[in-house]
Amino acid sequence: MSLDEKNLNSAEVVKTEVSHCGGGCHSGGAAKRDMRDRRQDPNAFPTIAKPKWLKVSYNSAETQEVVELMDRYNLNTVCKEANCPNLGECYKAGTATFMILGDICTRVCRFCNICYGRPRAVDIYEAKNLAAAAKKLGLLHVVITSVTRDDLPDGGASQFVRVVEELHKALPESTVELLISDLMGNWEALESILEAGPDVLNHNVETVPELYADIRPQGIYERSLEMLERASKWAHANPLPQGRMLVKTGLMLGLGETDEQLRRVFHDLVERGVDVLTLGQYLRPTPTHAPVKRYVSPEDFDRYKEEALAAGLRFVASSPFVRSSYRAEEALRAVRNQD
Amino acid sequence: MAKREIRVPRLAPNMESGVIVAWLKEEGEAVEKSDVLYEIETDKVVSSIEADAPGRLAQILTPVGEQVAVDQVVAEIEVD
Repeated sequence: MSLDEKNLNSAEVVKTEVSHCGGGCHSGGAAKRDMRDRRQDPNAFPTIAKPKWLKVSYNSAETQEVVELMDRYNLNTVCKEANCPNLGECYKAGTATFMILGDICTRVCRFCNICYGRPRAVDIYEAKNLAAAAKKLGLLHVVITSVTRDDLPDGGASQFVRVVEELHKALPESTVELLISDLMGNWEALESILEAGPDVLNHNVETVPELYADIRPQGIYERSLEMLERASKWAHANPLPQGRMLVKTGLMLGLGETDEQLRRVFHDLVERGVDVLTLGQYLRPTPTHAPVKRYVSPEDFDRYKEEALAAGLRFVASSPFVRSSYRAEEALRAVRNQD
Repeated sequence: MAKREIRVPRLAPNMESGVIVAWLKEEGEAVEKSDVLYEIETDKVVSSIEADAPGRLAQILTPVGEQVAVDQVVAEIEVD
């Protein structure tokens, strides 16, 4: 292939990617990924056959209620934007994880399906709408995440605070879990979120530090650990009436990490005061994302769980379809009962 | 007896197509609501697609191994 042909091909691929970014996302021409040439070469992304345990069920009629509710309140869910394999099951059960601050992210991570680009203005009605929708769904435990907003001075912290306040008003008996970005190390912003009083503060380290350059290039492993440590110290110093806030993190497996690298991460997390860990199978959302290096068997997920618990974590959810919010309420209740 | 088209659902916002990897019902077989009709493989997983009404599977229009687009009719069900 001549250089010109190659350039022509990559231009075509960019066009395709913009249209790929069409699921509720309006970032226009901003979507760019660094591996667009590689899509031309099927050998660059070898696919491994999906194992028998990687099966989900889907019934369109039963997911409709949650789909319509989110539309009506002008809300996004990470379930939909991330193309989550559990969507069918969770929507059917009348639950979802809200994603605030829009549907366009300021970072490009190679595992994530959320659109990259210049985000739109923050929706001032979002907190109230979210609380109303959570009430309508009758959620006892509400999980909220966001796109990463490196464009906002506080990384979007004030919107998280408003959401927690509205939820405390609308659903005083329900517990609140926040899954936040690293806020670019803005620890004042972190403290404002902690002061709002969430029951669980989650920040995902996502993968082992050895893979950050390839998988999470705009993240810094040490910065994420520092965030978890600060949250943990704050939680111990400021117990809530209903029990101490828990600190949680998660990793995707199957990106090329080794057992030894994982063990070191478990150790780091315990050292920084993390209580709860989620481990799940990485699944490639589109052919332009990082390939799946291996499908981890359910037995191996059990083994990692045992190792993480032995390292000192208080609660570990570990299986192929585990995601950050999977069994979130159970983790909270289990650890609070241990205290 | 009315015929009802079975269309490929959009399982994710960016889903355009998938590959049918198995039919779990045969032509002529009775189908209950929530019975799995077929399995379709997309980027992340294999999804089992359930029937949303009872009836009889009249015709399978796309065989196993075929790539199908969202909203494409893959089978017909006879309903009472």
